[in-house]
Amino acid sequence: MKTLLIVSHPDILESGSQQYFLSSLKENVAVTLHHLESIYPNGKIDVAKEQALLKQHDRIIFQFPFYWYSSPPLLKHWQDVVLTDGFAYGNRGNALAGKEFGLILMIGIPEREYQAGGSELFSINELTKPFQAMSHKTGMKYLKPLTIYQFAYLEEEQKMDLLIQYWQKLTMEDEVSLKARETWLAAELEQAMEKAAGTQEAEIFQYAKSLIEENRMTIDGLKIVLDQMHQN
Amino acid sequence: MENEEWVLQELERLYHSSQDYNQVTLIKATQELIKEQMKRIYQMEGEIDGTLWSPKRWSE
Repeated sequence: MKTLLIVSHPDILESGSQQYFLSSLKENVAVTLHHLESIYPNGKIDVAKEQALLKQHDRIIFQFPFYWYSSPPLLKHWQDVVLTDGFAYGNRGNALAGKEFGLILMIGIPEREYQAGGSELFSINELTKPFQAMSHKTGMKYLKPLTIYQFAYLEEEQKMDLLIQYWQKLTMEDEVSLKARETWLAAELEQAMEKAAGTQEAEIFQYAKSLIEENRMTIDGLKIVLDQMHQN
Repeated sequence: MENEEWVLQELERLYHSSQDYNQVTLIKATQELIKEQMKRIYQMEGEIDGTLWSPKRWSE
């Protein structure tokens, strides 16, 4: 699976949260990082190039700071000019049908405020309806969003937990079961082993990967026993 | 369980010695996933024990 990560942020170098997540992707070949403001500083979007890029990927992600309940202006402009009739919708406009679409939002206000009674009144699910509608109209499957609240206030370990969720949002199948996370992690460990080939680290990763696989066999075996017991 | 404890110990050692942030993050996720699997196994074994000792089966 190839993921196109479309980032929109007008001042990305000054954003600690954006830098934290994006710098972790340097060696990730499964993700194409596409920061709109860097590529189009004058705002003039190459529509044919963008449409070709969309076609080459299976999962499309928009990542941006949630400004006034929407995206920065260049991402809205990108939607206006790239997702055209005949390409993304309308007669023969099925270039995105069957792909997956998701949002990664950086939010400066605490999560608890996004509900009735909170200072923002509405939930993120309510406030992101235009993106859900866009996904629906273009035939893409809408993924659960990854919402990152008040990043600067997080402890280091909380940031790491979010980073794992971030990588999963970009590269893991749309499924969060224990089994799906095992498969995803085993593939990540495989890559870490290749990177650390010949070192003690690689050996430890190999042991960990084998243990995860053995545990899975145990779980599946226990499941069979339980199913049989429940049938009797 | 011995093998699991040894692997978790080695991961913990690497967690503190590694200088590569992505690697440290991956190690943390690996430790947590193994612990989650161990918990799942423990719970399923408990369910099997509980079912075997169920009064429903006492007449069998």
